[in-house]
Order: sequence, then structure tokens, then C-alpha cells
Amino acid sequence: MEADGAAVLLLRRLNSILDSDPLIDEVGFVHPTQLASLVGSQGGSLAGDVDCKLYCRDHKLGISTDVVVTLYREAKRAFFEAKKKYEAEEGTDSEEMEDDLIRFSRAVVLLSSDFGTAWNSRKMIVSKKGLLTMFMNELQLSELILSYVPKSDQAWSHRRWAIKMISGKSQTLQEILRKESELVEKIAERSKMNYRAWNHRGWLVSFMTREQVLTELNKSKSWAGLHVADNSSFHYRRRLLMRYLKNSCHENEKLPQGPSKEECHLWKEELNWNESLLKKYIGREALWLHRRFLSLCWIRHFSACHSPLPCFSENVTGGPDHFLDQELNLVTSCLVVPDNNFDDFEAQATHSATYTLWLAKQLPRTGGVEFAEKLRENNICSLVHKFCPNISFLEMIADANQSGTQGGN
Amino acid sequence: MEMEMGNSGLAVEKHVQYILSVEKRKDDFVSVVMEHLRLNGAYWGLTTLDLLGKIHAVDVDEVVSWIMACQHESGGFGGNIGHDPHILYTLSAVQVLALFDKIHILDIDKVTNYITKLQNEDGSFSGDMWGEVDTRFSYIAICCLSLLHRLDSINVEKAVDYIVSCKNMDGGFGCTPGGESHAGQIFCCVGALAITGSLDKVDKDLLGWWLCERQVKSGGLNGRPEKLPDVCYSWWVLSSLIMIDRVHWIDKEKLIKFILDCQDTENGGISDRPDDAVDVFHTYFGVAGLSLLEYPGVKPIDPAYALPTDVVNRIFFNG
Ligand SMILES: [Zn+2]
Repeated sequence: MEADGAAVLLLRRLNSILDSDPLIDEVGFVHPTQLASLVGSQGGSLAGDVDCKLYCRDHKLGISTDVVVTLYREAKRAFFEAKKKYEAEEGTDSEEMEDDLIRFSRAVVLLSSDFGTAWNSRKMIVSKKGLLTMFMNELQLSELILSYVPKSDQAWSHRRWAIKMISGKSQTLQEILRKESELVEKIAERSKMNYRAWNHRGWLVSFMTREQVLTELNKSKSWAGLHVADNSSFHYRRRLLMRYLKNSCHENEKLPQGPSKEECHLWKEELNWNESLLKKYIGREALWLHRRFLSLCWIRHFSACHSPLPCFSENVTGGPDHFLDQELNLVTSCLVVPDNNFDDFEAQATHSATYTLWLAKQLPRTGGVEFAEKLRENNICSLVHKFCPNISFLEMIADANQSGTQGGN
Repeated sequence: MEMEMGNSGLAVEKHVQYILSVEKRKDDFVSVVMEHLRLNGAYWGLTTLDLLGKIHAVDVDEVVSWIMACQHESGGFGGNIGHDPHILYTLSAVQVLALFDKIHILDIDKVTNYITKLQNEDGSFSGDMWGEVDTRFSYIAICCLSLLHRLDSINVEKAVDYIVSCKNMDGGFGCTPGGESHAGQIFCCVGALAITGSLDKVDKDLLGWWLCERQVKSGGLNGRPEKLPDVCYSWWVLSSLIMIDRVHWIDKEKLIKFILDCQDTENGGISDRPDDAVDVFHTYFGVAGLSLLEYPGVKPIDPAYALPTDVVNRIFFNG
């Protein structure tokens, strides 16, 4: 494909803006008339005929929507041309060819964030050079792109690649982990329930020390409490909690004493916090799912333990029976549907009855026979029919549970 | 427009026209930013056409020679001509060739070799040479090799163990161990376990429960708790429920109605939710979902291989 003159100028202009301001932290695709008025009123940076198509001021880059396709096409053309040249002369170590590839691939990913081949060329050159500053530039570029395409799979993946590469080279890994966590929180604020973002934060957990896990648990608490519908943020806490447990299981491998006092305390605190959220935010699915996890773990790892638990001996929580009684009290209190505010309370009752049935189905496997008995006494089956109407699979499960025949094959 | 009561069913002809028009459209912004995954797009569009009995509306030779031009010397396929290979596009290439009964034109050893090299020590798969690991890639590797009759070229036992290590306490699966359950990832893990004959590793009642909780009041399915329903999850959730034999747990009639409500009955195509803009991706998943629901006039689709049942039968029983 032939290069067209105006397009070449535009791309050159874009590249020089990006070169001259490495601190650009926002990109906007702006309607042409709006961009023209920005250029006219403020006189950002000017350069000939392409003036009113690109605009940069205060580290904010504006691109006129009517040139996006042209610019993208030219960036792609230039990128593939540079790539071809580079591959043809591999081994000649030409700085100039590498620079071209880095600059043109940057333009491509700015305009089409999941263009994997352009990200790959960057990986190839940056890993060949092996310079810490170059890896840091990759983190910066992908952060810029995530600021306006927060779900870009390739941009997140590129960060993980860069962090893995740095982790062997740099003393600053712990600092990077802290910043990554903050970045995800910032992006999650604008892009709700973003699976890719939270998955990235969860990925960081495997690099964390025990202390960092605790710090993260504390830090992520207030955000989670303000975004109670975001299941991903609660899943992040589950991942941290499991990591904390697993770490200590590992340490205790030779001494199977069961969970420590701190662990019991941590879990109890999470259960109490979750209960307070359940009562404050009525009818939120993600909160009830978090409770399913907490309760099942509690019974499996803590209260089902045969050796006396340190926390039980201190009488902080009481034994398994006590725990299940408490849960039944909570459930009962959530089944009350007042006449006003109907919808939310109805959802609360549905979630709460479902939670009870879910625990009942899970417990026989963990040896909680008494709980199953208790539920039968409390007539979980009629609870489900009453509070989960029209959710036929729950009614089927409840009926099967009642008659003692376990479904499944 | 919005008062179109009494939905008259699936607008087959309109959808066929829509798919064919997308193939030809190359100039707007949407098609431009999609060109790096055009091979995925070809799979979505062509499978839809086949399910609707209209695959012959396309020029087979043209499609096949374009696909072969996307192959890299390593054996893997790129999303378009000149793009780097990735396992994501390699599966789409094999699937599209399967639709046209053209798998035999492939250098099977070469493709097999590309995929086999992506298996890691722990049994997981990377998507390409840059090393990102995801259970999606495990599914793709297993599905692709099975279609090529080369499952024995990888360590299946380790691959299965890795997938099982991604199982969560809610019965679902994530992209890596400890990752949040997500309907798309669940489809991949259950599909891979189904193909390798390892469904006994799934807690069917528990996973079935999680999947059924995806059905919201409108009848549509979401992909994770508290999310809005979306037509594409009709495929991921339903196919998983079928594979674990729990599809009778959801309300099929309401789901059919939800999918049909997402059609653009004027210009063809299906969107993620009623009244949103249509795209090929959701058109495919809507039609594939209806196929799983045994909607009349749509060919049956295999829930694990994501190909029409007759295509899968041709590969495994007549090949
Ligand atoms: Zn969707």
C-alpha cells in the first residue's frame, strides 16, 4: 500500500507530540468542531495543516474523530513496513530500525489497543535491549491506553509480561506491586466490574509476602465496602484470604495444628464485616456469595477441626454448633419483608433462603450433619418455595434435599 | 420500531444478509479496529451461516485461500494476513476449515507442533510465544488437537490437572488458579474436560447451581454475579449446562424470548441486549444459543466443539 501525503504528515505529527511529551496521561477522541475550537481558543501546539486534527495541552492528547481511521491505516502501514525491514535485516542491530518499530507500534496500539502483533514487536525489542527504563516505558504506555480502554486484554497482558521481566532484574518489585494495586483500584472506579482489571490485581497476589497480603486486605476493604455490587472486588479479598491461609498451611506442614489464632481472628472479622454490609445494603447478590465462601471455609478450616482451636478456647467464637446457630439467626432476620421497600427486601429474602440451602447442600461433604438436621427442623424446603418463587432449579434442589435423595449422577 | 409486539420468530434471511454484508464491509471504524481478529470474525460469521443452512452463500475457495494466507511459518495462524500467530486464531482457522470439510489441506504435523510447543511444565498452555497463560488456551489446544486427531501429542493428564487446579469453591472456573469464576472461562474448562473425557472432575450440582443463578428476571443470562444479561452468555452458560447435564434447571422459554428480543428485525443481526447495536459476535452467540435450545430451523451445534453437529460427526465418524 502506498503512503498518502496527508496521512504521513499526521502520523509524523502524532509521533512528535508523543516524543515531546512523555507525560501524556489522557487520550480523547474529539469531534472535529470541538477540537478546532480547542485549538483556536488555547493555541495548544500548532504545526501547519494538521493543526486542527491533533491537540496536546497539559499532558492531554486530543485526536479528531474524522482522522482516526486515516491515522490508524497509516500507522499500521508504517508499522508493517518497519517490521518487514527489521526482520529482513535481523542481526544488523540497527538502532534506527528499532526506533521506527517502537514508534510506529506505539501509534498502532494507541489507536487499536488489542492489536497483538504491534505489542509483540515491542516485547521483542524491549526484551532484546533489556533496559529497565524501557520496561518502565511499557508500563506507562499500557497505563495510558488502559485509561481509555480499561478492558484491553492485550494492554493488561503486556503489563504482566513487563512485570515478569522486571521481577528478575529489579529491586523495586514490591514498589511496583503496590502501584499496580492502586492502578487497578483507580481503573475499577471508572470501569465497573472489570474482570480483566481485577484478574490482574489477583495475579499480583502470588508475588506478595504475608505482610503485603495483610496490607492489601486492609487497603481493599474500604473500596469493597463502597462498591458492594462488585463481585470481582470481593473475589480479590477471597484470593487474599486463601493466600493467607495457604501460606500458613505451608509453614505448618510439619506441625498440623490447624489454623492459628490470627487466622481465626481474620476470618471472624471478615464474617462480621460482611454481616454488617448485608444489613446495610439490602438484597446484594455479591455480598451473599461472599458469605457462602466465608462460612464454608470457616466450617471446613476452622470449626470442623477436631483439635481444640486457640480461638475457641478463648471463647471468641464458640464451636461449630454456635456458628451455625448464629447463621440461622441471621438468615431468619433477613427473611422479613416489610410492606414498603418491597423489591430489595424480597431480593434479600431470596438470597438468604438460597444461602441456607446452599450451605445445607455443601455441608454433608464437610461432615456438618447436625446442620443438615437443623435445617430440616427449620423446614428449609418451605422457605425456598416461599422466598424463591419461580426459581425452579432451587425448588427442585430443595425438594430433593428434603426427601433425602441427593440429586446428580 | 420499539412497539413491535408479537415477535414473529428468528429473522433468518435478515441475519444471513447481515453476515454477508459484514464480510464485505471494510471501511468503517468498527471493521478497521476488528481487522487484527478477522479470523475469529470469519469463524463467528461462517458458523452462523452454516447453522442457518446458508454456508453455500460464500465462495469456499476464496475463504480457504485467505485462511491459508494467515498461516505463519511456525504452523500457527495470525488473526489476519501478516499478523503474528496466536492459538486463538489457530483454532478459528481449523474450525472454519472443518466447516468446509477442508482440514485435509492443512499440514497437520506443523499445526500440531505449534500447539504442542505451547504446553508448559505444569500442564497449562500459553497463548503464544510471549507466555500469557489462560484456561481459554487450554481449551483451544485440546479442542484443536482433538479435531486434528492429535490429542496424544500433548500431556493430557497434566492439562486436565491444571484445569482442575483453576476450580473455585463456587464450582466455577477462572483463567488461572484462584481466578474469579466467569461463564466464558467455565465454558472453556468444561469443554476441555468434556473433550478429554474428564467430566467426573466437575462438581455438577454445584457448578450447575452457579450457572443457573446467571439467569435474571428478563430470562437472559449474565456471565458473573450482578452483571446485566448478555446474549453471548446464552452460549457459554447453556453449552456448559448441557455438558454437565443440568440444562433442565433453567427456564428455556424465557431465554429464547430474550434472544429473539435482541434481533434487529429490520437490518438483521443480534445485539448483546434489546435495542443495542448488533455485531457478528453476538449474532453468532444468539443463533448458537437458539441452536442449543433446539429452536426450529437452526441446525444443532455441538456444545464442546462449538461446531455444527454434522461437521463434528463427519470428523469423528466418517473421517
Ligand atoms: Zn456479550
